[in-house]
Amino acid sequence: MSVADQENWLHTSPLAAIFYLGKIYQNIAKNAIPTLAPLFVLLLATEGDLTYRIIFALSVFVILTITGAFLQYWFFRYRIAENSVLIREGVFKKTQLDIKFDRIQAISTQQNIVFRAFGLVSIKLDTAGSAKQEGHLPAVKTSLADALKERIRREAQTISSTRKATSDADGEEHSENGARTLLKLDGADMLKIGLSSNRAWVFLVLLAPAIEYFDQKFGDNIDKQVVLSAFEGAEARVAGVIVLVMMILLGFLLFIVIASIVGAFLRYHRFELVADNDVLRSTGGLLTRHEHSVNLAKIQTVVATQGFMLRLFKRFRLRAKQASSGRPGTGKNLVVPLCEPGQLPMLCHEIFGAEFTDVVLEPTAAAFLPIDKHYVRSRIMLTGILPATAIAALMSIPLGPYALLFLLWIPIDAFGVSRLYRRYGVLATADGLALRRGFIGYQVTAFLHRKVQRISVTQTLPQRRRGLATLRFYLASGSVKVPYVDFKKACELRDYILYRIESSELAWH
Amino acid sequence: MFENSEIAQDDLPQVDSVSWLGMDEKFVRRLLAENALALGFVIIGIVFLQFVISTAFADDNVNISLGWLWLMIPVAAVPFFVWPSISVPRKGYALRDKDIIYKSGVFWRTVTAIPFNRIQHVEQSSTPLDRHFEIATLQIFTAGGSGGDLKIHGLPATVAEQLRVFILDKVGASIERR
Repeated sequence: MSVADQENWLHTSPLAAIFYLGKIYQNIAKNAIPTLAPLFVLLLATEGDLTYRIIFALSVFVILTITGAFLQYWFFRYRIAENSVLIREGVFKKTQLDIKFDRIQAISTQQNIVFRAFGLVSIKLDTAGSAKQEGHLPAVKTSLADALKERIRREAQTISSTRKATSDADGEEHSENGARTLLKLDGADMLKIGLSSNRAWVFLVLLAPAIEYFDQKFGDNIDKQVVLSAFEGAEARVAGVIVLVMMILLGFLLFIVIASIVGAFLRYHRFELVADNDVLRSTGGLLTRHEHSVNLAKIQTVVATQGFMLRLFKRFRLRAKQASSGRPGTGKNLVVPLCEPGQLPMLCHEIFGAEFTDVVLEPTAAAFLPIDKHYVRSRIMLTGILPATAIAALMSIPLGPYALLFLLWIPIDAFGVSRLYRRYGVLATADGLALRRGFIGYQVTAFLHRKVQRISVTQTLPQRRRGLATLRFYLASGSVKVPYVDFKKACELRDYILYRIESSELAWH
Repeated sequence: MFENSEIAQDDLPQVDSVSWLGMDEKFVRRLLAENALALGFVIIGIVFLQFVISTAFADDNVNISLGWLWLMIPVAAVPFFVWPSISVPRKGYALRDKDIIYKSGVFWRTVTAIPFNRIQHVEQSSTPLDRHFEIATLQIFTAGGSGGDLKIHGLPATVAEQLRVFILDKVGASIERR
């Protein structure tokens, strides 16, 4: 590397060490045992009394992690070249990362309190493909983040200029450089987000069998104790234990609900969704402001979900999914944590523009067509009748006639399947497709035909007899399955979508 | 002015009307060879197990018979050796100007279509056994990669190479047009 070259490489602010310190602690938390083991060895090996040893070990730990963080900062260099971001990092293992601007799917920034005071942000560059290819620019000037965003926006514009042309032709007003606020959320909304967070309710569902178990266990104990115990008051004591356990569990539940409300405030406080030309940008967060921008052209699917709680609140949660590397959890989404049903068409219009005007995300819309009713029969057979009779037959050897109780699974399963069936709905228009499904709530997934990567039509033996098929669309953000549709219609739709993909001159990303 | 005139469904090219090309005729034999090898390993394993048991318990006068394991072999072998000649004829592929189509499956019949302008990259691979039968696998990757990428196993090696070059050429052309 020549001297001139070296001068071009930039250091971030030394405060980046905070970012790395956070990463180090995160890693330690993830694999606590292997990383902390040496520390314990140190703790046991050193002489002296316990307090001294703990203080010693802690200070060693703190010094080591801070040194590590500073080293990582010191070896981190970056450069903004003509059409890529170059990153050189690593203390022992050197990493060279060259990210082309047109590969960048989205830019997200994070700003904690310290960074905010110094006007710094941490930038994350999301690229299509593997998660390892992600670039971080910790603790850089806010102006650099803005410049990068602008740069990527321009990159997207050159790619999607054709797209703009179509929406301009629609006679729509497109104010250049005009950032419009689409949506804002207030404190009451945070409460709703927190309450509808899945975590709290998943926990409750998981808890239900546990409560039952304890109930039974203690119930049995009471019976035994009443007969066997020689002293009075055992029953009362056991009842006391039950109440205590229930109180603890309820307290824990309350804690989780409060924690998820606090989480909603931390993550989404003063949430704002802004449309800025071809970019959708969300900002929100109490201590750390999270900002996520995504180019409209990079959005693959739009998913509107309405779980049990959100149904009560009559609200939706919207996710704009981007390309993922295929492994679950690696996809990048722009999340709108809460929106009113009336806002869905507006958001759709913002995302899809004039390309997909007849898209519907409201699950109750009449436009959704049901799937074939044979779905119910075959699913009940597959998930209800077959396993239940098999288990009942197997269990009849040890259990005798009681094994017939396993057959009770069939009506439960039938209820579930018919519910799933009624939730399914397909809306295929000239430009895109929307699929509604769900069990307790609803989930509507919509995408443009031209974003599809590949299509498969599958027929099982019974489906073949009845002229039915299952359609599967593979998108860069995951696959969408449309079960039990007419085979002929499925083939027609596939041929049409293939035609749309192959005749599309626009980039899918 | 942007135009988007309606196209009648019947005018669209139909996937089902293509003429399918089958897999390499040696493919069944190649699969049988693999199954035979696997079965051979299982037999060796059982023989070894029998040997170990008989030497270990030689002094104790205990006779442990592995007869049922030997019985399992022909039972397992029948589907092993019948299946390839059922499944292979039902596989097929077709190339069109703008996409590649692949069908497979006996009970679950799947027809997958991948447009060239959505392909990320193409990979050709072959195992030593494949090379002996001059067969290759073509793997086609699209973005996202969920549900496994399309794998076409059992193409003649020369055809696979031709396909790879042809598809890459098409992919490149579609990128340039953008």
